[in-house]
Amino acid sequence: MSESETPGTAIAVADDSTGREVAVANAHVAVGEEFHGHPTPRQYVLIAVVLVVVTGVEIAVSYLNTGHTNLVIVALFLMAALKFALVCAWYMHMRTDQPFFRRVFVTGILLACFVYGIVLLVFSSTVLKS
Amino acid sequence: MAQTEISPVEPETLVPFEEDHARQTNTGVSNNKLAIWVFIASESLFFGAFLATYFLYRGRDAQFLKGPTPSQLLNIPFTSVTSFMLLMSSLSMVLALAAIQRGDHRRFRIWLLATVIFGMSFIGGQVYEFTEFYREGLHLSTNMFGTTFYVLTGLHGTHVVVGIVWLMSIWIRSMQGKIGAERHEAVEIAGLYWHFVDVVWIVIFTAVYLIPQH
Repeated sequence: MSESETPGTAIAVADDSTGREVAVANAHVAVGEEFHGHPTPRQYVLIAVVLVVVTGVEIAVSYLNTGHTNLVIVALFLMAALKFALVCAWYMHMRTDQPFFRRVFVTGILLACFVYGIVLLVFSSTVLKS
Repeated sequence: MAQTEISPVEPETLVPFEEDHARQTNTGVSNNKLAIWVFIASESLFFGAFLATYFLYRGRDAQFLKGPTPSQLLNIPFTSVTSFMLLMSSLSMVLALAAIQRGDHRRFRIWLLATVIFGMSFIGGQVYEFTEFYREGLHLSTNMFGTTFYVLTGLHGTHVVVGIVWLMSIWIRSMQGKIGAERHEAVEIAGLYWHFVDVVWIVIFTAVYLIPQH
């Protein structure tokens, strides 16, 4: 079946011998209807604006010469975590997709944090003592 | 087989393709989407290894700073621009997905092409940066900063290149009329990979470029 060039047009193709519809897959797309609770394009743009603003603040904070280096590092990582969460939740549709996918991804992230947290703790205090 | 067009069909009487597909699997979710999520989870561990290595050597001057120092080399304004491009590529990717889900093929191709162009700009910036660093005397084996920096950002760049090739192949198939609205899951899977590459860069950008250096 060729692609539907008109958004939302419902096309069904019938097999002459049986009269059964054999391809109706694109008929579920309705004009102006968002897909299974996915955000609207306007919401996607708003998230992009937030991401750009947070990035701008991150860059500004990195230039701060306050003497509180640890505070700056914590602030930078918090902002990175916020951007990470926004992209995952909105652009990767973790808010609206099946929770099983979210669990798979979060398991991978937590496992990485756990494993490499141990690596950093062990090696930084022993092997690489400077 | 002769085919007859029957139109219109009431949308509410039909089962969406991907839901139908998901029902036919043992898990009740799409196998293809499950595969990409498992792959992305494993990639978190992959990039975690290189980030952990970078942090292990960071600040250990005897190994880390025999040669050009990060503060002499890193150009934050320039990398901010390339980071902005990668962020915008994520926006254009979701807009492409939204377009194909609506069955709007023209906008789908435009946004997909924009994503590829943003990705190529990012890679162009990385090639320029690597070339500059090499000219300044930072090689892969100059010091541990060079080793960890080139490997971490280079592997990320390789992922971006793979993503560009993937998106280009989808764009070409779309031009050939092989990507219809019913095949939007193929676009969504490529998009998930692309967004993951973006979130990895969010972490790398903060860890390598923004945290105060020596």
